[in-house]
Amino acid sequence: MLQYSRNKLISIVKKEEDALFVHGVLDDDIYGIEIDVSIGISDLQILSIDGKWNRWTTPECPRAIFFLQEAVGFRVEDGFTDKVHKIIGRKGCRHFANLLVECCFSAKEAVQVVKWKDATKEKPDLSFDEFIGGKTDTSKNAAEKNVPIQVKEKSVKDEKKYIASEKKVSGEFFIDLHMHTSPASPCSSAPLDGLIQQAKQIGLDGICLTDHNYVWAPDLVENLREKNNFLILAGNEIITDQGDMLVFGMNREIKGIIKLEELRNLVDQSGGFIIVPHPFRGFLNFGVSDIGLTPESASQRSLFKHVDAVEVLNGKVTKRENDFASKVAAKLGLPTTGGSDAHEVAEVGKYATCFSSIINNEKDLVDALKTGNYSPVEFKKL
Amino acid sequence: MTEILDFKRSRSTCVEKVDDNTMVSICRLQDTLTEAFVEIKVKLPDLEITDAKGEFYRSYQKECRQDENEALKKVTGVRIGPGMLKIIKGLMGEKTDCKELIFMVEECCHGVILAFTKKSLDRHSMEDLDAIDYYKDMVKKNIRMYNRCAAFAPGSILVEGITPPTQ
Repeated sequence: MLQYSRNKLISIVKKEEDALFVHGVLDDDIYGIEIDVSIGISDLQILSIDGKWNRWTTPECPRAIFFLQEAVGFRVEDGFTDKVHKIIGRKGCRHFANLLVECCFSAKEAVQVVKWKDATKEKPDLSFDEFIGGKTDTSKNAAEKNVPIQVKEKSVKDEKKYIASEKKVSGEFFIDLHMHTSPASPCSSAPLDGLIQQAKQIGLDGICLTDHNYVWAPDLVENLREKNNFLILAGNEIITDQGDMLVFGMNREIKGIIKLEELRNLVDQSGGFIIVPHPFRGFLNFGVSDIGLTPESASQRSLFKHVDAVEVLNGKVTKRENDFASKVAAKLGLPTTGGSDAHEVAEVGKYATCFSSIINNEKDLVDALKTGNYSPVEFKKL
Repeated sequence: MTEILDFKRSRSTCVEKVDDNTMVSICRLQDTLTEAFVEIKVKLPDLEITDAKGEFYRSYQKECRQDENEALKKVTGVRIGPGMLKIIKGLMGEKTDCKELIFMVEECCHGVILAFTKKSLDRHSMEDLDAIDYYKDMVKKNIRMYNRCAAFAPGSILVEGITPPTQ
């Protein structure tokens, strides 16, 4: 039986010399929306836009219409889709964003048709394929193309200048193992200095920088430790086919999406450690709880065969998702950690990991992680 | 003056539950220049893509006239959920330059999520006042939704009295 269907219908007509008029309809089991967009033919710029709701969900959905105006002036070019999702999707409504993208990419195709029609006025026998033949360049700009996995080794210095044990001799040692800095992680708005100051202020013993597929130079991190007289460690959050993975003790740059099994091999070669962060982010969300996921079935996921620990306190997910991760980790007998996943300064230290030994550098961290002798904590509540 | 269309597109995405553990999501595209379909098979409860196939019957783009299935096979094993788009783009992008093919996979995945959203909404047919409480409670339980769209942005009655996530 059909569970859901969505139909989108786009109609485009050239009404003015340099403008296409696009009418788009999105109709699915939940939403009914329409938009009218006019787009320049020569520059593919959005000239005007109007929207209309036919059916919606929340009482406040109609507010989204107003934000459509922010797309006026956008050009259908590289980065257009991301821009529409960020501005129209986030400020307005993602379903309007989806329909707008559909309308604008249809308009881009329609421009080819319109130009071909114009060309046939001089050459009536010109076929569309002949017209397009000379223009269609399938070679991609290198920057646009997804880069295959590249692995680059970076040098690691052995010398230890920052000594945490000079500050703390024993007891509990709290490190926020998961955070993102700007601009190393484009999704973060937290400058490194701000994160460090905040971490010191709230009393953390250390932080670990885990920017997405970004390797902090060991020398730079060492300098940061000295300059701030504070434990700053470098890790990495790597995107794999099985989702994000926190990696410690591997100073390799990985571009593109790597298979988790392949990452496991690389991490093993470096003597490193893998933690799966937020393993159930969004999975227990609105509606998706209907999938009937249980800790038993979730623990069968193949990804858990390739990780050393599970992040069960993550600052960006719901309590229910963290609790679920905790149950799965317990079922698997895997060690558990906590980290804020901070993308803004104020978020640092929401959660952390409590170690029983002093940590001075990345090597100490990996050694400590491998003992399994640590626990996740709600640091800001301590 | 008549206004004959210069371009027309119809895209349809349908999600079907074929048995207790399997859903199939199909995206069909038919427009002036292109005709194609993509089908993904999804295993429950993990929402893991177990199979993907598709075909471009018509396309003026050379990159979309190559064997689609090699690129589609790359998404096997990916789970539908947050973060899936960057994984799908990254994995398929290694094998194809056909952006439409990747978009059709994304549409299939969104369809699966919306099928569950519909199921959940079906259970809550609400009067306006109940709806406000229902959505307010939803944001409280999942603070990531705060400011994710106009309905949950500051100023909306649905987030009145809710502390923004970073405060």
